[in-house]
Amino acid sequence: MITPIKALRKNRFKTALIFMSMTVSIAAIFLISAISGGVVSMYSAMLKTDGDVIVTQKGIADTFFSDINRSLVSPIAAMEGVREVSAMILGAAPVDPLPIVGIYGVSENRFKSYALKQGSYPKAGEVMLGSKIYETLKHPRTITLSKQEFKVSGVFKSRIGFEDGGVVMNLDEGGKIFHKSASIFLISLEDLGKSDTITAAVNALNPQIEAKTTESFIDSYNQFKIIQTSSDVIGAMAFLMGILGIVSMMSMVVNDRKAEFGIMRSIGLSSATIIAKLLWETLIIALAAFVVAWGISEGVLELIEHAEKFQGYINGEITGPLLLKVFVVSVAMALVGTLMPAIYASRIDPMSLIQRGGA
Amino acid sequence: MRIEAQNLEHYYGKEYVLRGVDLSIPAGKFIAIIGESGSGKTTLLSILSTLLRPTSGSVTYEGQTLDEVGNIDAFRRRNVGFVFQFHYLISYLSLRENVALSALDETLIDPLMDRLGILRLAGRYSDEVSGGERQRAAIARALINRPSVVFADEPTGNLDTKNALGVYELFREFSQSGTGFIVASHDKKIADFADTIIEMEDGIVTKIS
Repeated sequence: MITPIKALRKNRFKTALIFMSMTVSIAAIFLISAISGGVVSMYSAMLKTDGDVIVTQKGIADTFFSDINRSLVSPIAAMEGVREVSAMILGAAPVDPLPIVGIYGVSENRFKSYALKQGSYPKAGEVMLGSKIYETLKHPRTITLSKQEFKVSGVFKSRIGFEDGGVVMNLDEGGKIFHKSASIFLISLEDLGKSDTITAAVNALNPQIEAKTTESFIDSYNQFKIIQTSSDVIGAMAFLMGILGIVSMMSMVVNDRKAEFGIMRSIGLSSATIIAKLLWETLIIALAAFVVAWGISEGVLELIEHAEKFQGYINGEITGPLLLKVFVVSVAMALVGTLMPAIYASRIDPMSLIQRGGA
Repeated sequence: MRIEAQNLEHYYGKEYVLRGVDLSIPAGKFIAIIGESGSGKTTLLSILSTLLRPTSGSVTYEGQTLDEVGNIDAFRRRNVGFVFQFHYLISYLSLRENVALSALDETLIDPLMDRLGILRLAGRYSDEVSGGERQRAAIARALINRPSVVFADEPTGNLDTKNALGVYELFREFSQSGTGFIVASHDKKIADFADTIIEMEDGIVTKIS
């Protein structure tokens, strides 16, 4: 272990370049994965609040476009095994001076899921604000939404960034703004074991609607798939960029240290020993880069979370599984990126030492 | 370990550098290969030392043809040592660590460095010692696994006369302990120390004395 560290210290400049290249790549993977994971988990958490089964318009790609008739709430609520049904309108609109804000029209029975910090739940002509947007807008008494002025009735705190940076109003007000009856129903069940039966019964009510367990909805939701796929593609690009950075830098390192590897070959060290030596060197760099990238990513996520510009909507979290995944990716990046230069180093002909003479 | 070369020929492209070389080198002797630049002495040394495969002909170590050796790296580590014109010490390792690089038995390092007069410098790096001391460390690295034979290519090329003579004396001393030395050089002074002189010219052995 000491020898690779000495080699890295001796080649400080190139070691620093490899370290920086890896750190940037690993941080990029951390950030894109944490942010996309954060978006998915925040939206999932919002849907899962009091929602064991979710009902949307059939065949809709995005809940924002879903339009279902709220008159269906009553027959669903009357079904055996259903504890409660709440309706929601999901929308987004500018709230001066913010260009876009999440707007949630909710049935009154869902108000209880918002923990009030001050004031009261909204009545007609009123809204309540998440604490984040309340701070961003500097404690407004009224807001203008879709050219209408609403009185701020209260402020709630939510751990879900989309809600904490959003505006909640009652369902009727939301319906007027977005010209729809409801976007989704969230059904809370008395017994989760009956979810299949109830889902089938709800689907039989109206051919225009589609009921799924919330878990199943989240698994199949196209928007989540798009976010996840985009994140995977960007992550893969960062991984490849990291590998290319290592390959090019390690090729230069090997070229600089030709005499060293030539002498190792001449004194009979095996190719495997030389390859292992170089792999150790980049693994050490990868480990350091991983730790630093982790720290940088936590810092950046903290900054983003508190940046007014993002209204708390971007709320990434580096979870244990993500740490493990990125650690494995970092090690793989180091090994794959070093392998070709290391194989080249292990094949350096000791004859070159003789031919170079006193070089 | 007796080394024999039979009808060695070597070409670089269409240019021959070695022609019809037959040699029989007894174990534990100090052999000098001398000749002008381009005479083929370095190529001969490289072939005998397993670094280069001849275009034709064969080399045997104690009757075993090199072509029959399965793992040439392991064979080289156990049986052959190298000293180059330039010391090629690894600069980020101390002299001891350089010697230890290929050591099969690390307990031999200090006694060997002591014998070569560089034990007190064992913790220093190559840029902290003189040219002669560097070359002694390189010789220690070559000798650490008690090889049957050490090959040296112009080992005194970068040394002043005093240090050059010191290196030859070391080779002489160790050859008397049973380690063979085969040294390519254009330095005529080597003749005063070697047991056998092989003279070369235009890729041909012209004289053995």
